[in-house]
Amino acid sequence: MTNFQARQSFLGQESREILRNGHVGIVGLGGGGSHVAQQLAHIGVENFVLCDPDSYEDKNHNRTVGGTTADVDAKTAKVRIAQRLIGDINPKASVSAVKHRWQNALPFLRGCHAIFGCVDSYTERDQLERLSRRFLIPYIDIGMDVSKVESGHVVHGQVVLSLPGSLCMHCFNFLRPDLLELEAREYGQAGGRPQVIWPNGILASTAVGLFVQLILPWHGDVRLGSAVYDYDGNRHTMILSPRVSALSSVVCSHFCGLEGEGDPFWNAGDVVTPTVQAGVKILHPDASATSSI
Amino acid sequence: MRRMRGDLFRPHGHAAERVGFISCGFGVSDDGLLILGRDYHPVEDEHYELDPMVGARFGSAAIRSALQIALSNGVGIFHIHCHEHRGEPRPSRVDWTEWAKFVPNFWHARPELPHGALVLSTDRMSGWCWFPGQNDPIKISRFTIVGQRLTYWEAV
Repeated sequence: MTNFQARQSFLGQESREILRNGHVGIVGLGGGGSHVAQQLAHIGVENFVLCDPDSYEDKNHNRTVGGTTADVDAKTAKVRIAQRLIGDINPKASVSAVKHRWQNALPFLRGCHAIFGCVDSYTERDQLERLSRRFLIPYIDIGMDVSKVESGHVVHGQVVLSLPGSLCMHCFNFLRPDLLELEAREYGQAGGRPQVIWPNGILASTAVGLFVQLILPWHGDVRLGSAVYDYDGNRHTMILSPRVSALSSVVCSHFCGLEGEGDPFWNAGDVVTPTVQAGVKILHPDASATSSI
Repeated sequence: MRRMRGDLFRPHGHAAERVGFISCGFGVSDDGLLILGRDYHPVEDEHYELDPMVGARFGSAAIRSALQIALSNGVGIFHIHCHEHRGEPRPSRVDWTEWAKFVPNFWHARPELPHGALVLSTDRMSGWCWFPGQNDPIKISRFTIVGQRLTYWEAV
């Protein structure tokens, strides 16, 4: 037994192969996404699509895993920092680092087995979830904020698992028309939300745990469905949101219908047939259940 | 998958096995075509014809139902049936003969889309995709089952 297998043996004999063949997309490589990238590389995932248009600045230095003062001086692309971090952990990892908006990397993201959304705005979350539903990709969203109250500050956040065929972020009322409309009026600017490294680490760890549980369930009694986990950074707790059990008998009405999957503008002429590879994704209807954790 | 397996392994009055159709959307990823299957459409009991030479023979009514799904929803149609063993299933000679007969029918409804056939085993799947105007199908190289457990593998 190798050291790797010994360390993760509870995940099963095939875990190394399953992790190695996993393709993950990480959108946003700041405070949250850098943690996600680091952890996925450590557990053995070898195929990454990283999307972030931004370069590293002094303001990112308090929370971005892998960032250095030299990166501040060099204004290194955040995706390059994450790529370097992953490569240092596992030189065999294949990383597509896209220093653009994720909308410019759609062909890369569509082939992923899961997408981690580590973005600031509700609009981007909404668009990422739509992409994920259309291409049958589990979407795991993390986010945090610090709110000022009379007696001080409240640190809070959430992790959302959005599984195709199951409840979505609209069902959970996490994405609401008024929030999206407000952002649209402000041209999609969510503003700089306060970020600190320790809540981001907790949120990212939960997100990575959900991903591993999806591909390598280590306990038969835990059946994952779409879910929201609420983080209270003042009490240092992470709990399954009461919204999940309240919606246990609800079927998502936002993403349904036969015409919903794939690219509506696609036609067979887009693919050069002699060289094409074809992959099939099939939705498992059991995904309609919400989490039973 | 559970509903599909449940239907495909359900006994029939005279057919030795059951078949069905999966409706699919399409897209392109960085390394090829994505075939996105969501809904399973079983062949109705009365649409099976009596033919002791093959496991299951369905009539024109079953094809018409599948064509209607393709036409109404703008989807590709993939025929599916099961082989009861573990590992990657290989189509029989009868499978290839029958596919060659009926898969082109789907282009009457959706000439612009690929259609195809899948074979399910107890733990794996194999499949072939026919592009419009192409006689030879492309073997599907990767599979992902999206659900409470996310499963993915590459074809042998």
